[in-house]
Amino acid sequence: MKVLIVGGGSREHAITYAFAKSSYEPRIYAISPLRNPGIEKLCKESGGELIRGDILNPEKVSETAEKLGVDLVFIGPEEPLFHGVSDALEERGIPVIGLNSKASEIERSKAFMRRLMWKYKIPGRLRFKAFRSIEEAIAYINEYAESVAIKPARQVGGKGVKVISDVQAYLRKVKEEVKKKHTELIYEKFMRSHDDVVDKILIEEKVEGPEYTVQCFTDGKTVKPLPIVQDNKHAFEMEMGPETGGMGSISGRGGLLPFITEDEFKESVRIIEEVVKALRKETGTSFRGIISGQMMLTTLWGPTIIEFYSRLGDPEAVNVLPILKTDIVDISEAILSEKLHKIRIYFEDYATVVKAIAPRGYPNRKDLARGHVIRVNEEKIKRMGAEIFYGSVDIVNGKLITGGSRAVEIFAKGDSIEEAAEIAEKAVSYVESLDGWGLFHRSDIGSGVSLRRMIEMANLVRSVYSYRKSKGLFGKQIDWIPGRGKIGYEF
Amino acid sequence: MSGIIGIFAFDKVWKASRFIYYGLLALQHRGQETTGMAIGGETGINMYNGAGLVDQVYNENILEELNGWYGIGYVGALPRENQPSLVREGDNEVALVLSGRIFNEAELAREEQVKHWSNQSELLARLILKKSRGDDLKSAASEVMRMINGVYTFIAINNKEEMIVARDSTGLKPLVAGSFGFDYGVFASESCAMDVIGADYKADVNPGELYYLNQYTVERKQVLKPNPKYCAFEYVYLARPDSRINGVWVYEARRRIGEILAEKYSIDADVVTGIPETAIPFALSFSNKRGIPVELGFVATGRKTRTAIKPSQFERLVGVQLKLNPIKPVFRGKRVIIIDDSVVRGTTTKNTVTLLRNKIGAKEIHVLIGSPRLVSRCPYGIDVPSEDELIARHLNDDEVAKVVGADSFHWISLDDLVKAIGVPRNKLCLKCFGG
Repeated sequence: MKVLIVGGGSREHAITYAFAKSSYEPRIYAISPLRNPGIEKLCKESGGELIRGDILNPEKVSETAEKLGVDLVFIGPEEPLFHGVSDALEERGIPVIGLNSKASEIERSKAFMRRLMWKYKIPGRLRFKAFRSIEEAIAYINEYAESVAIKPARQVGGKGVKVISDVQAYLRKVKEEVKKKHTELIYEKFMRSHDDVVDKILIEEKVEGPEYTVQCFTDGKTVKPLPIVQDNKHAFEMEMGPETGGMGSISGRGGLLPFITEDEFKESVRIIEEVVKALRKETGTSFRGIISGQMMLTTLWGPTIIEFYSRLGDPEAVNVLPILKTDIVDISEAILSEKLHKIRIYFEDYATVVKAIAPRGYPNRKDLARGHVIRVNEEKIKRMGAEIFYGSVDIVNGKLITGGSRAVEIFAKGDSIEEAAEIAEKAVSYVESLDGWGLFHRSDIGSGVSLRRMIEMANLVRSVYSYRKSKGLFGKQIDWIPGRGKIGYEF
Repeated sequence: MSGIIGIFAFDKVWKASRFIYYGLLALQHRGQETTGMAIGGETGINMYNGAGLVDQVYNENILEELNGWYGIGYVGALPRENQPSLVREGDNEVALVLSGRIFNEAELAREEQVKHWSNQSELLARLILKKSRGDDLKSAASEVMRMINGVYTFIAINNKEEMIVARDSTGLKPLVAGSFGFDYGVFASESCAMDVIGADYKADVNPGELYYLNQYTVERKQVLKPNPKYCAFEYVYLARPDSRINGVWVYEARRRIGEILAEKYSIDADVVTGIPETAIPFALSFSNKRGIPVELGFVATGRKTRTAIKPSQFERLVGVQLKLNPIKPVFRGKRVIIIDDSVVRGTTTKNTVTLLRNKIGAKEIHVLIGSPRLVSRCPYGIDVPSEDELIARHLNDDEVAKVVGADSFHWISLDDLVKAIGVPRNKLCLKCFGG
C-alpha cells in the first residue's frame, strides 16, 4: 500500500507518524515545499520519499500521486483544499482525505460560514456584518462597532484578526482609530491579493471565554470527534503578545479538558454535525476528511463557533495523532466508503501537551525569523519521554534552517496535563539556536496556574450562559430604549 | 511616594498616550504633585512633564502630540521631582520612571562617570544608556539592577522600540504585569490601573525580576535572588482598595484589619465611622463584626486629596480640614467609635476629636487605628516625618488618648496587622512600625 501526504509542517509530520504506525505498513510519500526532516525520515524508513513540490497546484499534486500509484492521499493544510487539490485527485479517481473546494468553503469564507449558521439557525452563532469594500466597513465602524473582532473575510493562514474590547467610553476614540486602520490593513495586506471571495471584511461581535478546538473526522454523514484540545494563541508568556498560529496546546484524559464539561463537548459536536448537514444540503457535495470547530465557551451560547477548519489544527493535530490507537488507514477507508458510523475510534488515555518553539521575530516579522540555524537533540528528547515534530524548517547543506514560522513542536503525554507539560518543558531545552538569534516558547502552557485561570474563566462564563439559558435568552436580546420602549430581537 | 506605568503595544497602530493617561489617573493616589509621560514612536521619544494633577497637566492636544505605541508614565508626591527622565547620547535615547530609592547614588555615578543628574531616575537612565551603548538594553538593565543598592521599581524605554521593567529583590514597591488582548503588555504600580484601561491583570512582577519587551519577545529574567519584604503600609494606607498587590487584595487586608479591631476592643458604642477615604473599609467590617451601626461621618470639600502624602504641614492641615466636615446628626449625643488608618503627629486626630466633642456634642469618642504604632522613619521613600515628630514613639495609648481628647485610643498590634495582611511576617517590611 502507498500513501501520499500533502504538506510539510508539524501537523503533516504527525499525520505521517500516524501512517508510519499503521499495521498495513504503507509506503509513505510526502509532497512538501520544504524538506521537513521528520517527515523525510519516516518516509524513507517506510520505503517512500519526500518530494519537494508546490502543494497548491492541483495538477502537479494529482499528477505526482498518479505517477507514484498511491492508494490514498491525505491532505494536511487548508490552502491545497481551497485550491482544489482534493477535487483534482477525485477527478483522477484517487482516493483522498481532504475536503473538496466546495466543502472547504466553510473555512475559506468566514462570511459564508456565518451566513450558513444563521440560515439554518444553528446554535453557537455570532452576530456579524460582511463588507465588500473598505468604505462600507468604515462607515459601519463610525456608526456602530463597539467590542468587535475585525477579520479578513477569507481564511488567510489565521492572520489579520484583531479583537478589540471597547467598553470604556473614554478610550473609544483611540480604539475607533485602530479599528479603521486595521480594516484598511486587512484589505491592503490580505484581501487585495485574494479575489476568490466577494466579501472582504468581516466584523463580528466580540466574545470572551476559554477557547478550544473540536477536531472531527467526517464522511459527510457521520462526525467523529477526536479528543478536545486547547491551543494557546498568544506569542508570549502569561497570554501576552500578538496572535500566532498557536504556541502550544493541551488535551486532558478521557478526551476532555478540565474546564469543558462533557455536556459542552457534546453540544459542540452537535453544532458541528448540524453545520455539516447544512453544508451538504447547500452544496450537495461529498464531504470526506476533517472538519474542526475552533470554539469558545461564551456567555451567549456556551459552546460557540469562532471559526471552522476544513482540516486538523496545527498544533492541535500533534496532541491527538500520537495517541491515536485505531489504525489511520482503517479510519481513512471508513471515511472514503462513508462508513464512519461503523467504526469506533480509540485513543490512549493520556493527557497531552504540545509546545511550539519559534525563532524570534515570529509571528510579526517572519522575514527576521527566517534563515537561522538550529540544532535538535532527538535522542535526549526521546529519553525525556517526549517526541519532536518538525514544522517550519528546511535542510540546507545538512543544516537545519528556520523557515520563519514555528520551527518545531514538542509532544509529551502523561497522567495529567501538568505532568505532560513538565516533560515537554524539559525537552524544550534540547532545541537550540546555533547562530545566537534566539528561539522562544511558552513555559506557562499546561501549568497549574494557567489551568486554574482557565477553570476560573470557564466557571464564570458557564454561570452566565446557564442563567441566560434558564431565562430563555439564547439567541435573543432584549433592550429598553428611552422613548422607544422595549425592543427584543432574535439572532 | 509615586506610581509608575508602562505600556508596550505589539502592533504599532496603537497610540499609547491615552492609555497611559487613564492609567495615571488610576494611580493618582500615589502622588499628586507632579506627573509626566514619555512615548516612543517613529520620531523617537517624546516627553511631557508638569506639576499638578493628571487631569490638570494634560489635555487633548498634548496627548495627541505624544505620538507612539509604547511609553511610560509617572505620578509623584514630591514637588519638583520631574519624571520620566529622558537622556540622550548621540542617536540613542533612554527614558525612565523610578518609584523607590537608591542608596548608593554617588558610588554608581562615580563608577560610570556620570557627572550630572537632577534626580535618581535620571541617574538610572544615564547608567542604562551608557551600559547599553544604544544596543542590548536587557543586559544593561540587568547589570544596573546588580549594581544598585536600593528599593525600587523602574520602567525604561529607548528609541529602539524596547522596554524594560524591573523590581528589586525585596519587592518593597508593588508592580504588576498585565495585557490587553493580543495588542499590548501593561506594567503598573497597582492593578487598579489595569482595570481602568481595560487590561487584564496577569501576575505580580517577582521581586528581583526583569521583563524585557520588544516587537518580537517578552522575556522574563530573575536577575536578583528574591528576598521579599513587601511594604505593609501599602495594605494599610498607600494602595487603592480595588488593587491586588503581591497576590493579596488590598480591600481584603483592610477588611480583616477592621474585623481584628472589632475582636480585640470590645468598646460599647452607638455608632462607628471611618475617616475618609482609606479607613472606611475598616469601619464597615468593624460594624459587620460587632453589629454597631456604621455611618457616613464626614464629607469632603473639593477634590480628593491624600493628606498624609502632602509635602508640607500647612498643606496637610488644609487638606484635612477640607476633607473632614462632620455630618452633625451622626455624632450629636452619641457614643462614637472613629477609625483612622494611621496617626503620625496626632494633630489631625486631636482636631477631629475636639470638634466632635466640643462643637457637635458627641458623648463618648473612642479612637481606633488600623495600623500599629508608627515609630520609625521609612528608609525607602515613604514620607513619614522624622522620629521626634512621631507621637507613638513618645507616648503610650493612655497618654495619646489624653492628648487627643479621646475616651480611649488603640492601635492594632503588629502581630495582628501581619495576620490581617496574610503574608508571612518575614516577607513583610514593618520598619516604620518598629518591626
